[in-house]
Amino acid sequence: MKKVLLVVLAVLLMATAFGCSSAPAASEAPSAGASAAESSSAEPAADGGASAGASSGWKIAMVVKDNVNAWFARTDEGVQKFAEDTGTDSFQVGPEEIDAALQVQVVEDLIAQDVDAICIYPIDPTTLEPVLAKAREAGIMVFTQEATTQESKDYDLEPFAPAEYGATLMDQLASEMGEEGTYCTMVSYVTNVAHNQWADAAVARQEEAYPNMKLVDGSDARVESEDNLERAYEKAKEMLKKYPDLKGFIGTSSNDVPGICRAIEELGLSGKVFVTGTGLPSMNESYLKSGTLKQCYLWDPANSIYALMMLAKNVLDGQTVQSGMDLGADGFNELIIDETDPTITYGKGYVGITKDNLNDLGFYF
Amino acid sequence: MNELSKRKWNRLLSHNEFYIAIIIVAICLLIEVRSGQFFTPNNLVDIVRSGIVPCIFGIGVLVVMLSGGIDLSFVPIAALAMYITNSVMLDTGFSGSIVVPFLLAGGIGIACGALNAVVISKFNLPTMIVTLGTSSIFTGLLRGVFEAKEKTASPILMELGSSKLFTAQNADSGLTSDMPSTLFILLGVVVVTFILLRYTTLGRGIYAVGGDPGAARRAGFRVTRIQFFVYCYVGLLAGIAGVTRTGMSQAAHFTSLLGTELTIIAATVLGGARITGGVGTITGTVLGAFLMTIVSNSLVLIGVPTYWQQFFTGALIVIGTGISVYQASKKYRGSLSLDERAKEELG
Repeated sequence: MKKVLLVVLAVLLMATAFGCSSAPAASEAPSAGASAAESSSAEPAADGGASAGASSGWKIAMVVKDNVNAWFARTDEGVQKFAEDTGTDSFQVGPEEIDAALQVQVVEDLIAQDVDAICIYPIDPTTLEPVLAKAREAGIMVFTQEATTQESKDYDLEPFAPAEYGATLMDQLASEMGEEGTYCTMVSYVTNVAHNQWADAAVARQEEAYPNMKLVDGSDARVESEDNLERAYEKAKEMLKKYPDLKGFIGTSSNDVPGICRAIEELGLSGKVFVTGTGLPSMNESYLKSGTLKQCYLWDPANSIYALMMLAKNVLDGQTVQSGMDLGADGFNELIIDETDPTITYGKGYVGITKDNLNDLGFYF
Repeated sequence: MNELSKRKWNRLLSHNEFYIAIIIVAICLLIEVRSGQFFTPNNLVDIVRSGIVPCIFGIGVLVVMLSGGIDLSFVPIAALAMYITNSVMLDTGFSGSIVVPFLLAGGIGIACGALNAVVISKFNLPTMIVTLGTSSIFTGLLRGVFEAKEKTASPILMELGSSKLFTAQNADSGLTSDMPSTLFILLGVVVVTFILLRYTTLGRGIYAVGGDPGAARRAGFRVTRIQFFVYCYVGLLAGIAGVTRTGMSQAAHFTSLLGTELTIIAATVLGGARITGGVGTITGTVLGAFLMTIVSNSLVLIGVPTYWQQFFTGALIVIGTGISVYQASKKYRGSLSLDERAKEELG
């Protein structure tokens, strides 16, 4: 018995080791907001069943990743506002927990209900692919967000174009650093598509516009926070020890910026080392107030989902999707269409968060 | 070399702690050579700081392993205890004694541990299966019943995390690091557990049960009670670790905590605790936990490329635990004392 147990545990331990290295691959799903959303986590969501008096005649469902996350409580507000503004029968649904198989079930149910369009944050595009294909075969239009790789969709609307977001982060960092000095980028995992796109875009912007700034050499140019606040803090400290002339950080996962800020404050480098990136108001409030952080960025999911549903409605109404289309939400008044793939569209939905507008954002996670 | 020192030397060689200590020294030297930044006051403080929470967890794991069991639920227990405690502190705006959050989290931990204990001791089920099940229950409670979201730490825990013993400064770079007061929590846990294991009948009983439950029972130890205590004690330590972590990271983030249990179990095995029970020391566990902490906090300093960092950590676990298990089996075969051998033959 003991021997068997020993063998089982030995295997388990090996699995840990390999588990460590395979885990990030699983989180590869190109989730622009996912990281922000997952780490902001849950507040009891209002029941996602609000439907206003239908007059446009369409029935549009918004499928989120779960029902408890504060992020999705906020998207529900966008859905309800959309229902009120347009008189469309629209509602939000989602699985009990963030589980792609459960989300498939939710979509199946919607197919049975014969909705006109499904808007969705796919938890895992690969797992969702067959059921979304089935929905389209049944004549239901599919609109996605945070899923540029989804095959079966009519349109994907991203809150912003990765290149533009990355460039914005770099412009902000450059202005704080006086356009000179060494910097590095932090991502959740080097396998996370969205985070690395933003970081790449930021670096590209620096190379083009800020010749006196320099990216740290070699593989340390991109450090991993493992989407973990504590790791972000430890890595930032390590980087600052190894590179005494390091002056700037760009953080892409929502855990990066607050972790880096804590490292900067503790090392006594506030005002000497600068940071910007994706950040949730709640996690960064103290650093914004203390001045270690001047500005971080986020997008309002109520707006991005409102815009996604408006896009769905416009397409159902027979409008042609073209650049410049107004989707009626802040940051989504001029639609941008991807140059290579016309089914991928972008808004300009991110907002800079500073100590001054912190309490007037309309959302606080 | 005279007979006595030779025997001492042999004893040292047979101790797992000795090998981990050598590995630690070797790795520290490697980091120092590669970066010139290891033996700086601020870096050493950083390492100690990062090791506090894993060490507390590791000691809990050690106690279970000594008793011949394994607990896979201590991390969810910690997450649950820290979430509830932090939320209560936030909602009530509590600003009294720092002892209160620890009592609350410890109490929640003990309650969760007691659930494990009842199922394990009453039905005599395999500990791994039971705790695997309860770990899902605790995570489920957190997500389902409490609809947990990641919150910032309550003011009292913020205060705990930012209170410091001293500030270490690197004379060359001017970088400073604070030694957190929570070091005392770890020291307290070490001292209490040491006394428990070394000087109490209960502690000796834990070793005995892990070595051979049948023999322990015949020797008069009340196996069920000892098991009961063990799982409650792990729960208690998990609660304490959870609150400590919340304070130190200034946030009650449980998602990044969940899933770390196997790394901590690996660190404990690395420290020489035998998975089959009865063998292991606090010194070994603390060394094991610090070895893991040093490595994971120095990958950038060593210059391991980002893409290879997880491979490196994984390899360390496999090689380290391999050495440790090999040492144990060699000792087991080679140097059994007479009565150990008799026991082995009897059953």
